[in-house]
Amino acid sequence: MLKNSNWKSIGTVLGETFIDCFYFSLKNYKAKKGDIVTTDSKVPSSEGKIIPVTVWGKISTIESSNAFFPTEAAQELTNEDIDIRDTILPTTRDELICKVVILGYTKDEDKSSKLLPLIYPVRPAATVKYPSSEDVEALLISDLNSSHPIYIGSLLAREAVKIRIDADNLVSRHVSIFGMSGSGKTVMVRRIMHEMLCKNYPMLVLDIHGDYLGFIQKQKELYPDNKIKLFYPNLSVNSEDKEIIYTLIDKLGKPLTDPQKDFLNSLLEKVKYEGGSLLKYVKLLNQRSREYASEGSTSFKNIRPASMYVVARSLGQVAKKLENMEQTNFRHRKKMSKLKFVELADPATEPEKIISKGQLSILYLKGYETLPASAIVSILLENLFKHRQEVNEEIPPFLTIIEEAHNFIPSRSENKDDLPSVETIRKVITEGRKFGTGIMIISQRPSRLDETIASQCNSQIIFRMVNQRDQKATRDRSETLDVDDSKQLPNLANGQGIISGQVVNFSLPVQIKFDEKLINEDIGNENFIDTVENWDDSEAVKERQKFAQDFSDISDMDNRSAN
Amino acid sequence: MSTEINIKDKIKRNSSMFVNFVKSAVTASPKVQNNFLDVSAKVAETVLKIVKDADLVVDLNYKGKEFWSENRCKTACFVDGGVDKTSIISSAPLSIRAGSYVVKPDAISKREYFEESMVFLGDLYDPKNELYDFIDDDFEEDQMLNKKKDGARIIFEAATIVKHILLNKKFDYCFLHGPIEGTVMPFSVPGFPTFTKFAIENMFPFAVNKKTDVAARHFINVYLEALNYIKKGKFPIYGIVETSNSAPYVKNLLYNYKSQGKISDKDYNNFIKIIKKYKITDSHLLEIILSSGQALKPIEIKKQIQGFTVTTGSSWEDKMESFPKVFIGYIKTTDNNSPIRIESLNNSKNLIKDYEYILGTSRLLPNYGFPVGLNVVDKFAKIPNWMSKASRKYYATHLLRQAVKNKDQNTISLAVKILSKKARSWRNRPIGGITK
Repeated sequence: MLKNSNWKSIGTVLGETFIDCFYFSLKNYKAKKGDIVTTDSKVPSSEGKIIPVTVWGKISTIESSNAFFPTEAAQELTNEDIDIRDTILPTTRDELICKVVILGYTKDEDKSSKLLPLIYPVRPAATVKYPSSEDVEALLISDLNSSHPIYIGSLLAREAVKIRIDADNLVSRHVSIFGMSGSGKTVMVRRIMHEMLCKNYPMLVLDIHGDYLGFIQKQKELYPDNKIKLFYPNLSVNSEDKEIIYTLIDKLGKPLTDPQKDFLNSLLEKVKYEGGSLLKYVKLLNQRSREYASEGSTSFKNIRPASMYVVARSLGQVAKKLENMEQTNFRHRKKMSKLKFVELADPATEPEKIISKGQLSILYLKGYETLPASAIVSILLENLFKHRQEVNEEIPPFLTIIEEAHNFIPSRSENKDDLPSVETIRKVITEGRKFGTGIMIISQRPSRLDETIASQCNSQIIFRMVNQRDQKATRDRSETLDVDDSKQLPNLANGQGIISGQVVNFSLPVQIKFDEKLINEDIGNENFIDTVENWDDSEAVKERQKFAQDFSDISDMDNRSAN
Repeated sequence: MSTEINIKDKIKRNSSMFVNFVKSAVTASPKVQNNFLDVSAKVAETVLKIVKDADLVVDLNYKGKEFWSENRCKTACFVDGGVDKTSIISSAPLSIRAGSYVVKPDAISKREYFEESMVFLGDLYDPKNELYDFIDDDFEEDQMLNKKKDGARIIFEAATIVKHILLNKKFDYCFLHGPIEGTVMPFSVPGFPTFTKFAIENMFPFAVNKKTDVAARHFINVYLEALNYIKKGKFPIYGIVETSNSAPYVKNLLYNYKSQGKISDKDYNNFIKIIKKYKITDSHLLEIILSSGQALKPIEIKKQIQGFTVTTGSSWEDKMESFPKVFIGYIKTTDNNSPIRIESLNNSKNLIKDYEYILGTSRLLPNYGFPVGLNVVDKFAKIPNWMSKASRKYYATHLLRQAVKNKDQNTISLAVKILSKKARSWRNRPIGGITK
């Protein structure tokens, strides 16, 4: 039982109350939106007794009005530059009406403070109280009833109330984190990753921008007992990935006609591959197709050598693109010379190198186009999931964190649902609960996400969001997000978010704890103006500029007319 | 000629007189319709000539910021009353209250406060022969109920001002929403109930030790006593009325001119006939004559007029004479509205300053053009729905208790009947065909 004798009275319940909410008149400045409040009430027990209870609720809206201040008066005050305090207009009649969403009740006689669903409306005219921060925190912890609570921040309305979420539901029931750029998504993910690392829970992060490289830099200092690995992609394939290879070649290369596609299919059947780098395989296919074309091979029915050449050229183009992407990724890695990147191990044969107890694996995907990145993720997750499905379980349960998820799981309306990662992630997220392959989806554009996958996330952490379509998509895909809280989304500040779903028991506005130590120092800030001010051309550019004028003069002279 | 054209233009420019003209177009004779504009313009022109001759028009000074800087030290009290509008079928008003809004802008503490001067639920009027008796004629019953409500509100408002006077409140101004002195003639009808002793003691605590016999508790006597207190008040007290549905100012002004021999009896009588024929009121005329920020100095008017059928020969006839005369003036606060009527029982020594204060407080409602303090207290005094519900419950309980105490089966049945009697409603009309 929580002590309520010292809780301050802050208002009075208004005349009409309901099972799920009530309204109360608030004393000036005594509570804020998102605050937890209580009121004493009585409910009939199952034995027919009337028992005293404490009803807990969250202030979801506050409206202030002054019925005695006519709108017309404002017009005169403005036009004549009159201070309202000089006039006879009332200045102290503001009425504050709060809507309280009922969270549940606790029995006054019980020692536990588990919230029970309210079955009888609160008493009109009852006093509304402001419970102490300790009691609110105690209630939230007790009500969460979690074996593994993790600390993520504090209640937005009360800094003193620490908020914890349930790690078990987090890793098994999937979470989505949405919010516009710079709203605090990455801060939240880092916070969760930090807590999960402390619990030695394996994680795989698909990092497009290098937001999580700070973990590598701070490993020795903060996580001496954990393994943190930084992988760069290796598009290794085997014979089972034929469909993915076909899609990649089809989409990355030149558009092919039906006979050319037939040839490509037959080629994939004919040129066996034992597994390894996709680039090597594409080069091999290119070489073979040229050979078949020059030989005038008759082993492909109705396919003329010309078509074979087209396919060969397309394969050459694919190989070139793959090489370019590898090069781009390499250049980015080179910038961060202090960090040790290793090639991604083969998930089919060496999954333990990617997922193991206490290990954080970061796959650095910068430089890769959507389709190859999707293929990499698809092959990787497909293999890891298969290992979790197998009876002998070669790898422990793990959490996959998908940054910029709209790149991997686009909505059907984006016309990109043939990305190989969509199907894989759908499968993993649907069956993941049974096999311990939880997924965390992070995106700034929830409206562009695959609907099935997004709605499979049982918990949501939502940050500032201005785009109307994204707000709607978020509301539509969440069963637990409080309607009034969702209205607050465009006005949230950095690091302020609303948590709802199974990781908490009710929708809560939270200020996320900012882990300054986990920022990647090499990424730098986005202060491009300073960057330009301090810009110095590279040596190569300077060399080129040294002779550029001479060459330009020669060219000018050459172009002179006879006169 | 140019004045006439100007006045005609003003009438056409959406004035309340023009609205009256449109209304008249439906009911008035073709001759009245035909001549309306010309006659109205000529009447306005003549009245303008007279008010100028009598030096009644004054220009008031109002400069927003400056005005409020000067007047922030003044304490003003605004009074209004409210009557429960939703009563069950019975003769007694169920709930009445009067509120005061007192404000002193520069006060360091307690800048403003509201006083709910009185809340009175239950029987205000003497229940003898009232509580259970129905008047056979529904129309008469409604008339009587309305009179009782009006009487109750008027007496509550007056009592509130009296209370402020007796408590020696240091007001610079006191304003009442409505006439400072109401016409008492409607309450002189035979059978109009007296107030209960309890009600009188509650409304006028100062009268507790006074003789409160049945006659003394009649509305007219109680109201007269209250007005005498108000007249003696040490601070200026004004009643302010939004619109005038009659022409007391113009009629009295012309009567004075007739008495002084400045106009003939014939002209006076014809003029009064014309005003009645064309339904021209003070509001209509003064809206055209006055410009925004102008006022008409008050003239003394006798509100209680003898000689009506209902009062003739009754004991109230003499009583009418005892009522104080009222000073009535007008202020045109905005361009777009009719002037507001200002009533007081005394002729103020600082009339212009007082009127300027009323103008200043009205400018805070630039469209409505009425003292904002009265708008504030009007909202405060209005009886909210929850109070109406509570009062209905109280009344029902009270009625049944009395009936049950009586132990007479017929009385109990009648009480139940009263409580269950509902007015006819179009929503309850039988529906044709099969009801779903």
